[in-house]
Amino acid sequence: MGKYKAVIGLEMHCELKSNSKVFSSARNSYNEIPNDNIAPVDMAFPGTLPVVNKKCVHDALMMSMVLNCKQPEYMYFDRKNYYYPDLPKGYQITQMESPVGVDGSIDIEVNGVKKTVKIHDIHLEEDAASLDHYYATSCIDYNRAGVPLLELVTEPCLSSAEEAVAFLEHMRSCYKYCGVSEADTKKGQIRCDVNVSIMDEGATEFGTRVEVKNINSFGNVFDAINYEIKRQSELKDAGRYEEVEQETRRFDEESGTTIRMRSKVDAIDYKYFVEPNLPKFKITKEWLEEIKKEIPLLALERKEKYKSELGLSEYDASVIVKEKEYADYFEECLSLGIEAKTASNWLTTQILGEINRTEENLQDFYITPTRLKQITDEIQKGTISSKQAKEIFYKALEEKKEPKTFISSDMAQISDKEELNKIISQILEENASQVEEYKKGKDNLFDYFVGQVMKNTRGKANPVVTKEILKDKLSQ
Amino acid sequence: MPKFTKELVDDLAKKLLIGLSEEENQMVLDEFAIIDENLRKVEDFPNIKEVTPMTHALDDFSFTLREDVATPSIPIEDALRNCDSKEGREVEVPKVVGGEN
Amino acid sequence: MDKTIEELHELLINKKITSKELVEEALKKSHEVEEKYNAFVTILDDAKETEVTDNLLSGIPFGIKDNYSTKDILSTGSSNTLKDYVPFFNATAVQKLLDAGAIPVNKTAMDEFGMGGTGTTCHTGIVKNPWDSTRMTAGSSAGSACAVAAGVYPYALGSDTGDSIRKPAAYCGIVGYKPTYGMISRYGLFPFASSLDHCGVLCRSVKDAAIVVDAMKGIDEHDMTSWDSRDIHLYESIDGNVKGMKLCYIKELCDSKNYPNASEELKSHLKNFMEKIELCKSLGMTVDEVSIDEKLLNALPSVYVAISCAEATSNMSNLTGIIFGPRGNGKNYEEMMMDHRTKGFSPLIKRRFVIGSYILQKENQERYFKNAGRVRRMLVDAWKKLYETYDAVILPVSSGPAKHLDSDKDMLTKDTAVLEEHLQIGNFGGFPSITIPDGFVSDLPVALNITGNCYNDSKVLNIAYALESAMDYKNQIAKEVK
Repeated sequence: MGKYKAVIGLEMHCELKSNSKVFSSARNSYNEIPNDNIAPVDMAFPGTLPVVNKKCVHDALMMSMVLNCKQPEYMYFDRKNYYYPDLPKGYQITQMESPVGVDGSIDIEVNGVKKTVKIHDIHLEEDAASLDHYYATSCIDYNRAGVPLLELVTEPCLSSAEEAVAFLEHMRSCYKYCGVSEADTKKGQIRCDVNVSIMDEGATEFGTRVEVKNINSFGNVFDAINYEIKRQSELKDAGRYEEVEQETRRFDEESGTTIRMRSKVDAIDYKYFVEPNLPKFKITKEWLEEIKKEIPLLALERKEKYKSELGLSEYDASVIVKEKEYADYFEECLSLGIEAKTASNWLTTQILGEINRTEENLQDFYITPTRLKQITDEIQKGTISSKQAKEIFYKALEEKKEPKTFISSDMAQISDKEELNKIISQILEENASQVEEYKKGKDNLFDYFVGQVMKNTRGKANPVVTKEILKDKLSQ
Repeated sequence: MPKFTKELVDDLAKKLLIGLSEEENQMVLDEFAIIDENLRKVEDFPNIKEVTPMTHALDDFSFTLREDVATPSIPIEDALRNCDSKEGREVEVPKVVGGEN
Repeated sequence: MDKTIEELHELLINKKITSKELVEEALKKSHEVEEKYNAFVTILDDAKETEVTDNLLSGIPFGIKDNYSTKDILSTGSSNTLKDYVPFFNATAVQKLLDAGAIPVNKTAMDEFGMGGTGTTCHTGIVKNPWDSTRMTAGSSAGSACAVAAGVYPYALGSDTGDSIRKPAAYCGIVGYKPTYGMISRYGLFPFASSLDHCGVLCRSVKDAAIVVDAMKGIDEHDMTSWDSRDIHLYESIDGNVKGMKLCYIKELCDSKNYPNASEELKSHLKNFMEKIELCKSLGMTVDEVSIDEKLLNALPSVYVAISCAEATSNMSNLTGIIFGPRGNGKNYEEMMMDHRTKGFSPLIKRRFVIGSYILQKENQERYFKNAGRVRRMLVDAWKKLYETYDAVILPVSSGPAKHLDSDKDMLTKDTAVLEEHLQIGNFGGFPSITIPDGFVSDLPVALNITGNCYNDSKVLNIAYALESAMDYKNQIAKEVK
């Protein structure tokens, strides 16, 4: 490896979030009960017809714009014809000739370096049914048939597994920021195909392209690409490059290798043609303008804003924008009036620490921005110390009780200067000999006095005010 | 372009998951010869390439897309009432091996 | 049952006859017609009368072509692939007629899935012409045409992809009307070629055609190609006023000089047609002879086969015997599907699938499928150009009366005259098109066709009505000549 340049293209399928399916009004939601999200067309009963879901087209157009693609004047659909038990109609409705977007590009960051990824096209299509395999039989559940999928296809412009995964992560974040998909790989909502070829550095002609289909996690994408680069490079090194065939392979998770499915000779001719049951749909400029206005600030844009306008560090800003729900939490804190750095600190340390530990969803996290504010307000007022604040945070979280219930008057810090003055004067009188020594130059006794004050007040003395008064008195 | 031969006819039929007899195969070839001849003549029409193929009977009308409202599922009894082989709530087939498309 | 809808409604309203009696008569006739001509897949012996209301269709029996999905009633498309299929939902067009109080009494036989024009490829056997049982009804709406002509009921539903309503209507001496594409929802109609498929009606008078389509039409949320026609009232708009209307016919099709080997039947048919042109003129219409590029016309039949076969092979990919239809035998799913399809489809359909599949192959698409789509547009544009000047195009249907059953095997033969196939233009452009009987040749009915521009259904029906009123073939019942 390293001797050759890898050329990688990606196809990313992502399930869209909607109430109903893309071509039928059956529910689009996870359902444990097989064949319980079914409209007649989902099982291809004779005479049934597809009807396009407006929201899916809307969301697809939004992503088309996020990817800086060109949108067609007329959008239409095509049939991709093939026989498989999970495909009840015998064809999949997809977009070939006039998809929602073509010729786009999007900037991503790979290890802090900007990279522009070119997009061939993005199109709207339907998912197939799912098969449950048993010993001698397979059972077909049509709940997934007709679930909206958005497929984007990049140009072969990526050069490493790292770049590929950075792109996929970026896209996943875009889908989530735009609210068009949960984009959860664990739920199988994202599936990828990768194309890998290698060529000599400086060569102008692409090598033989190998496609690895149906990869269901980004980790596997990473491994599949690296395995292919290694496999192809080794064959090339051995002078056996002709053994690299234009073919379709699949990734085997157990062995971490790719396995041949079919060669180009056996490639299926999908006999694409325009879906006659769906008329050509005119996409008006007005609708596109409307959709454009709805596109929220995406991760990279938010990160820049947090850094430049709110003064967050690169690290903190990156952590916060990593997931849309983090950024949304953060921005809710801001809108409630929590100071940016305070909100950032709480989020990136205590809150995400808990989220990572429990693998809970931030949306379901007990300490909502409003509850957090109960705590941060008290710190600001000086009623509680930051140490107490953390204690309250965990107590509230554990007992699922409002944080304010743990903030009693008893807990309140003694910030009153007059009261502290009295206490400190008394302590200094009681420790006259130490005061003498301090004045003679034993500076480290200062902390001793602070400790005494804390002991006397059972930790409730405001440390800042205490130090001020001590300094003042001891310098007299 | 591959010629439309007996072998190709058989191959196409196989991919369409249908069997053809010898006689049927020959009929396809005969019938197609006429279509082929007529459509070859079409290629000589002046400016034919500039015409957008017509894919819908009406391509001048506007319509609205469906609002995203879900409706209840059809009852399972309806979904499976014409199915010859089912298991529980699902359609059963012999074990499917090999990759999806 | 040999009366028009208007007449039957009058009798029902005045209680001269009951819905129950009509149903009984229609069922009795159904069995007779089945016995003689083999016109049905199913006769609904338990059909019940309905309440007679203001709706013209209430209480009156009718027939449904077997490619309409009918709830809880066997719907086969006349194919072995669906020989036991009982749908759980009604086609929109059927539901609308039920809502109007109409009573289905049978499901009519048809060329398998509409892919044929002879009435001889039904899984239940050949449908015979009630005028002469040695002749074809033509198809694919064979059983519907046969039953209406035989007087089982005043109307039956048909579907029309090339001329599947309008040609059997001609051969059986009745009226066949397919409105503008999308006026009637296709939801629940088993597809043949979606971009060409139309729902429509076979009946015995132009007004009946208007009444039935008025009831079936309307935008349907289940069919995106349907459109809102609430402002169109076909029945009400028929007033017979055609003064000043402009018609044209196409020289290349109607001039007997273009058929040097013409049979006597063809000659009589064309002569009869030209007489009807004179009749049009006498009704106050102007009729011009126009010319269409012959090369373009000659491409028509092949363009039709190319497009319809391509769409059909895809449309019928759902027929695998997995979810519905008899499960095939085999070790794996592929063998199972193949067994189902090989046994289930007739040879004609299989041949058409292979052709459609070849035409759609990546390397052939441009030459065949795309070019066919281009010629389709050129033909439609040529017709639309005519509609800039003319209200409708009037042409003879077919090359004469019904063909003998042993003559045509539904092969696209080299000498297929464009005259036989020109009605396909109506499907290419989605034009409203109606066939009405216009005379007799060899004692058998022949017909003419009127086709207008999209959405001009009222105009087309009015012209047809004026002509019908000036001829003697309205509400004609088949008289067996052989």
